[in-house]
Amino acid sequence: MIIVTNNPDVKEKYEGIRQIEFVEGGYKDVLIRVRDLIFEGHELLTHPLMGSVKPNETPYRSIAVSRHAGKMDNDNAIMIAECMQTFEKFAAMGRRDRGRNTPEWLLEDFRYIDLTLISSAVDYH
Amino acid sequence: MKLELGLIHVTDLQFGDVSKVEDHVVYINQEDIKNLILEDETIESVELHIAKPGESVRITPVKDVVEPRVKVSGNGGVFPGWTHKVDRVGEGRTHVLKGMACMTIGKIVGFQEGIIDMTGEGAKYTPFSQTLNFIMDIKPIEGLKQHDYEKAVRTANLKVSTFIGELARNVEPDEIEVYEHDNVLEGMKKYPDLPRVGYVLMLQSQGLLHDTYVYGVDAKQSLTTIIGPTELFDGAIVSGNCVSACDKNPTYIHENNPVITELLKEHGKTLNFVGVIITNENVYLADKMRSSDWSAKLCEFLGLDGAVISQEGFGNPDTDLIMNCRKIEAVGVKTVLITDEYAGQDGASQSLADATPEADAVVTGGNANVVIHLPKLDKVIGYTEYVDKIAGGWSGSLQPDGSIIAELQVITSATNEQGFNKLSAR
Amino acid sequence: MIKIVHYINQFYAGIGGEEMAHVGPCKMDVIPPVSKAFTAAWKGEAEVVATIYCGDSYFAEQTDKALAEICELIKSVGGEMLICGPAFNAGRYGFACGNVAAAVKAQMGIPTLTGMYEENPGTDYKNKTIIVPTANSAAGMRKAVAAMAPLALKLAKGEELGPYYEEGYMYTGIRKNMFEEEIGAKRAVKMMLKKLAGEPFITEFPMPSFDRVAPNPAVKDISKATVALCTSGGIVPKGNPDHIESSSASHYGKYDIEGVMDLTEETYETAHGGYDPVYANQDADRVLPVDIMRDLEKEGKIGKLHRYFYTTVGNGTAVASAKKFAAEYSKELVADGVDAVIMTST
Repeated sequence: MIIVTNNPDVKEKYEGIRQIEFVEGGYKDVLIRVRDLIFEGHELLTHPLMGSVKPNETPYRSIAVSRHAGKMDNDNAIMIAECMQTFEKFAAMGRRDRGRNTPEWLLEDFRYIDLTLISSAVDYH
Repeated sequence: MKLELGLIHVTDLQFGDVSKVEDHVVYINQEDIKNLILEDETIESVELHIAKPGESVRITPVKDVVEPRVKVSGNGGVFPGWTHKVDRVGEGRTHVLKGMACMTIGKIVGFQEGIIDMTGEGAKYTPFSQTLNFIMDIKPIEGLKQHDYEKAVRTANLKVSTFIGELARNVEPDEIEVYEHDNVLEGMKKYPDLPRVGYVLMLQSQGLLHDTYVYGVDAKQSLTTIIGPTELFDGAIVSGNCVSACDKNPTYIHENNPVITELLKEHGKTLNFVGVIITNENVYLADKMRSSDWSAKLCEFLGLDGAVISQEGFGNPDTDLIMNCRKIEAVGVKTVLITDEYAGQDGASQSLADATPEADAVVTGGNANVVIHLPKLDKVIGYTEYVDKIAGGWSGSLQPDGSIIAELQVITSATNEQGFNKLSAR
Repeated sequence: MIKIVHYINQFYAGIGGEEMAHVGPCKMDVIPPVSKAFTAAWKGEAEVVATIYCGDSYFAEQTDKALAEICELIKSVGGEMLICGPAFNAGRYGFACGNVAAAVKAQMGIPTLTGMYEENPGTDYKNKTIIVPTANSAAGMRKAVAAMAPLALKLAKGEELGPYYEEGYMYTGIRKNMFEEEIGAKRAVKMMLKKLAGEPFITEFPMPSFDRVAPNPAVKDISKATVALCTSGGIVPKGNPDHIESSSASHYGKYDIEGVMDLTEETYETAHGGYDPVYANQDADRVLPVDIMRDLEKEGKIGKLHRYFYTTVGNGTAVASAKKFAAEYSKELVADGVDAVIMTST
């Protein structure tokens, strides 16, 4: 699998164990990269909105897709599109400082939660 | 299977020299509780508080809420896999300290929501403004990892709730509720003409602060399975879920699962309540496929006519909910869903992250994005400085005057998806 | 007495039909019968103090200007509320009613209400104003007034409307929290019993509407297939020979592109009135990609491009009309041996 992530902790833990595609950017940039990979035929393996930490809250996101690229999966394409809509919905609400003025200790917690969520999926597969 | 719930109506909660229940008053000796909690070497210290309905008190950030219970007769003990060994529960008699709740607060991670106001605007939305609350503010030893801290806090609450519940063992209940259900064969024979209804209970299961345990087992590692309705009343399902305050299911709500309660009340009258199917909400899409396939299969195997499906949490569980709905309808079983909504602050956005035309019967716990203004209260138990960091809050949420402007989602159990509340939306 | 302003089109104002659709907003000297019907229904609690009409084409083609003029007229008569229509199934009139009602509510902050048939494209505004469903023709006028008048009065008095299914307006999609009498679990079990018994029940959250078409099986060999281009983007030969309307199209066009390799500024344009036409007029391939299809044809990636393209304007065009167009020309496409269609929108 390929883990698309903007979370350095995920990169650190899985570097060398899983293929990592590190995205320099925010939550949305990860969604966009995953969308493009889905369009290229990679299969979506984990739900892009994993966890109940809202998309306008955490700046980190990790999503697993298949290494193999075949035919584009329509359901995957619809799912990522719907997730991007949900992201936009939340982005439009409050918390405009997301990820920028957030103190380091808080970012650390966001990274940690993102790591444990993605681990709950990839460690078993 | 028959379970009697002996309800002891608690009218007051106080600290006292001796821990006991007397004349509907629960007295708690602080040392008893502290000793119990500090048995865990990962816990540095604990502060205890009491908050009562109507008081000008704000409690935050709330982790789990538990109702103290004790198994008086029948097999096993409450919270099997935690404070009692793994052994079948759900039969016999259980005493309940009705009207009180044990809750933990703590800063496991820096962005957790979970506000309970005992008065004012916020009190209208949380069921726990109506309970006498025993609050444990638990601090870990330095350097304790979040995982271990979460477990310590969760376990502490279960231990304390078991301890307090134990005080009610020999108290004469004010009221006895009898819950009885039949096995598949008996039910079919007894009520051949009633519609066969089941309940699909979805459990959040995604990792730290997003987990649920069934008889001690992490639900994410389980296939969809069947559980007896009354087992939940003895604490068979425990919450390790600390995120999404408004729509996670605290242990208290699992113990009082309202869908099970309503279905048991109707059992033999308007419907034949066949059973409870528990299924998870994992991160991995193949897990979602498998679990929802399994829910539909079990509905089919049980020969159900209808299934109520309740959700837990935000976002990706919408996908599980819709998969469950679609697949269960596809095997000819009619569904009613219970969910909540994130329709934006103005209510104009799409409420769920997924949808399907089969979902034509939906009950909603309300729009969690609605902005509410919580007044300044006299006393804060916990830490309001986190309000600006939580989902549904934003920088500036905590006003200089101590009031809070934030979304409804900050309030514990405000939009519960087991249908615990009267809040809805249109 | 509450002062209510009524918005209607040139037809209901008695000015004329399509030939007078270009007239701008104007306050009528005499209150017309349709407005009087509302006043009568309010039984002395409210009255139409002014009726404003506007030609449907005028409104569609210069919406912002028309809106500004309409708002001025409402202010000049001190209107406390605006009702529009009913528009029944008239597409452009419905579009105007929805648009005016939504804009006046947003800009002037007064309550607004309109009425129209459920398939009228103007119902797109149901999340921005209150829309009462009506019959599909003016034969339903009496009923429409009877349904709209009491709701209008409630809104004019500043009262909150009950849920859509009780009050009889269209579902707005705007979610509002409220407390029920019973807890959610009890409501769910009751709903379940009704659903099982086949009795009517009302879902608390209507799913977004789906008009999904199941995809056909894949074309077996696209390199041998005849592919047609169709569009709702209004691409027509320069001069719009069949006069396809810029909005609420009443018909579609079929045009021969035998030997046409590229759509140029000199030869093709768009009839669509709902988007900035500059880029489509400069190069109509941007909407109807004849040039690319010719390339694919040359490269052997498709069998061939069908000789005709079908086109209409999707701007406020009634769903029923669009379905009718496609039902007609898809028969022709099949008869002509077309294997696949690329439908472009804007």
